[in-house]
Amino acid sequence: MNIPYPPRPLAAFAVALLLSACGAMPGGPSAGSAPAAGASSGAVPVTVRFVAEVSGRPFACGQRYDGVGRTGSTITPSDYRLYVSEVHLIDAAGRAVPVSLAQDRVWQLEDIALLDFEDGTGPCRNGTPATNTTVRGTAPAGSYVGLRFTLGVPFARNHGDPTTAPSPLNLTAMFWNWQGGYKFVKFDTASAGRPATTAAPDPRGGGSASGFSVHLGSTVCASASRTEAPSSCRNPNRVTVQLDRFDPSRQVVVADIGAVLAGANVDVNAPGTSPGCMSFPNDPDCPPVMAALGLAYGGVPAPGPQRLFSAR
Amino acid sequence: MRSRRPRAAAGGLRRLGVAALAAAAVTLLAAAGGDTWRWPLPAWVPPPVVPADNPMSTHGVALGRHLFHDPRLSRDGTMSCATCHEQARAFTDGRAVSPGVTGEAGPRSSMSLANVAYLPVLTWQNPQLRSLEVQALIPLFGEHPVEMGMAGRETQLFEVLKADPVYRRLFARAFPDAARQGEAALFSLSTLTKALAAFQRSLLSFDSPYDRYRYGGRKDAIGAAARRGEELFFGERLECYHCHGGFNFTDNLKHARAPFPEVGFHNTGLYDEDGRGAYPKDSPGIVEHTGDPADAGRIRTPSLRNVAVTAPYMHDGSIPTLHEVLRSHYAIAGRAARHGRAANPLRSEFIVGFEITDAEIDDVVAFLESLTDERFLTDPAHGDPWPRRESAAGAGACGRDQAGGGVCRTKSTGMPFGSTTAK
Repeated sequence: MNIPYPPRPLAAFAVALLLSACGAMPGGPSAGSAPAAGASSGAVPVTVRFVAEVSGRPFACGQRYDGVGRTGSTITPSDYRLYVSEVHLIDAAGRAVPVSLAQDRVWQLEDIALLDFEDGTGPCRNGTPATNTTVRGTAPAGSYVGLRFTLGVPFARNHGDPTTAPSPLNLTAMFWNWQGGYKFVKFDTASAGRPATTAAPDPRGGGSASGFSVHLGSTVCASASRTEAPSSCRNPNRVTVQLDRFDPSRQVVVADIGAVLAGANVDVNAPGTSPGCMSFPNDPDCPPVMAALGLAYGGVPAPGPQRLFSAR
Repeated sequence: MRSRRPRAAAGGLRRLGVAALAAAAVTLLAAAGGDTWRWPLPAWVPPPVVPADNPMSTHGVALGRHLFHDPRLSRDGTMSCATCHEQARAFTDGRAVSPGVTGEAGPRSSMSLANVAYLPVLTWQNPQLRSLEVQALIPLFGEHPVEMGMAGRETQLFEVLKADPVYRRLFARAFPDAARQGEAALFSLSTLTKALAAFQRSLLSFDSPYDRYRYGGRKDAIGAAARRGEELFFGERLECYHCHGGFNFTDNLKHARAPFPEVGFHNTGLYDEDGRGAYPKDSPGIVEHTGDPADAGRIRTPSLRNVAVTAPYMHDGSIPTLHEVLRSHYAIAGRAARHGRAANPLRSEFIVGFEITDAEIDDVVAFLESLTDERFLTDPAHGDPWPRRESAAGAGACGRDQAGGGVCRTKSTGMPFGSTTAK
């Protein structure tokens, strides 16, 4: 899934520099704010900034958020990370131009980036102190009006060997080895109806996914012969996100998990199913979550576009 | 950190000498001449297939054995791999399902690790899991269910390992190439999982009374009841052998002399939730991964080696005894057919039910008991290599366990932390 680089210059458009805002977010790592090495003439830095929210309020580990989901529950999140890939800028003619990501050896690999909104504090104890809220790279100079990216890890990387994968595909918290692959989204939370763990709190931190979780990933990946490696998944569960009007120099991408939980009852979990919605087939907790992610589920087509991401 | 004397390797060699077992002697000789692994197998058993990037070595197995028996591989120091995989129970744990560090129990029963090197697919209902290296990530880092609870804590784990002089030596010996690349390569998910896999591949069980009877020419190695049970087991009335056939008593088999692996997942009619063959949601069978409704309830055939010590039975531990497995499940074409209900429509064509007397069941059970390899269950080469230690975290774990004191009981079964070799 390598992006051809450098892409063909768009000579027909007046040059309009997309100024990088450099993503100076609190707690962000120092690695990788520079454009890709070898950025050639005509390529300009691009930084897409993301902001994590819960129903319009800034995401923070251990913060209590009320009015969440169908029951208006109070939740206390313990993790929020997601992979984006295949980031493109859209020009006025609707053409998608790939952003070549800086290969920073920490957050970005090939065309994949991990966005990490948790800082390892409080109930996010299983997380990492470092956070990452930007996607950084270069694109050909041009005039762009929109943004497109994929929520998820491309197939080839998703089904590689996690024990030897480079960062950011080497984080055990994002492994999804039972299904094979990675959690595209890992959001964990306690809710009023479902405290985070079923046992006494671990003095060294909680963070186990037994409250209400949203884990998005590919499912039903077995090959027909049952002895071959998977070549595809029936439910890839990758989400194509398109923001028709987006200016990275002035706008941010809001990732509001509250919108994904809006139709769900986060205070209960269907018996015999994974906590919350972990993308598994036949989980009664999943239809409202998957619908909000713009995904078909259980034979029901997606009712509309995804509602997790918006431009602001 | 608990203090440990860095003498485990020397102690291990001494213990191997004391054991004076043929298998161990072969291993020891191999170690003396460098680190060329030789499978301690009888001639009639083909060697396993090993991944090209994780060749067997005595040092790799030694490292894996230390890791396998080390509770520091769990979030709160209360569980090692051996907590759910006790050697004396053929590396199962005697429970229907097992709680992890949070007390949450998984949906399926701990599986025996005997001869796991011969299995092309590793777990009850995941046709994707074929690599022991990758499989090790699930109990360590999985979140549904939480088992050892280490998700997101790999950095802390590697710090613990690096700080232990025993591990510094064991890792360097097992992975000299990685050692040359520096600490980040030497203490990594790659080396950790490779060592655990190598140790598991060394868990070979081919010395049961039945093996001595069947392959060793010892006609007196099993009794008359077991011989009658053998006839029943391999007969067309019970049909057991169709799935539990071959030298590992399962139709899941790969080895160096096989041109391709055999894989078998079957619906035995244990459940029928909807009259159309479905199993309960938490263990639906491989339909979870294939999406094919015909795969509902299909569960991998377990090996029957050492089955007498691996109760309770079935993938969810829902049948307490072998007698009941035969009487209340297989004899009636699957337990779902109780109380006059129809049998599961998706069940294997070999699950047809049969008439059987209690005396005949006793014979079949006697045959199954002849598959118990006492040497395997007590071989010091597989036991806890760490010096005997008192449980630093044990008391808390006992108090937290809500599943009948399982965690606590494990630690107090026989020898705390399984110190069969530390005496």
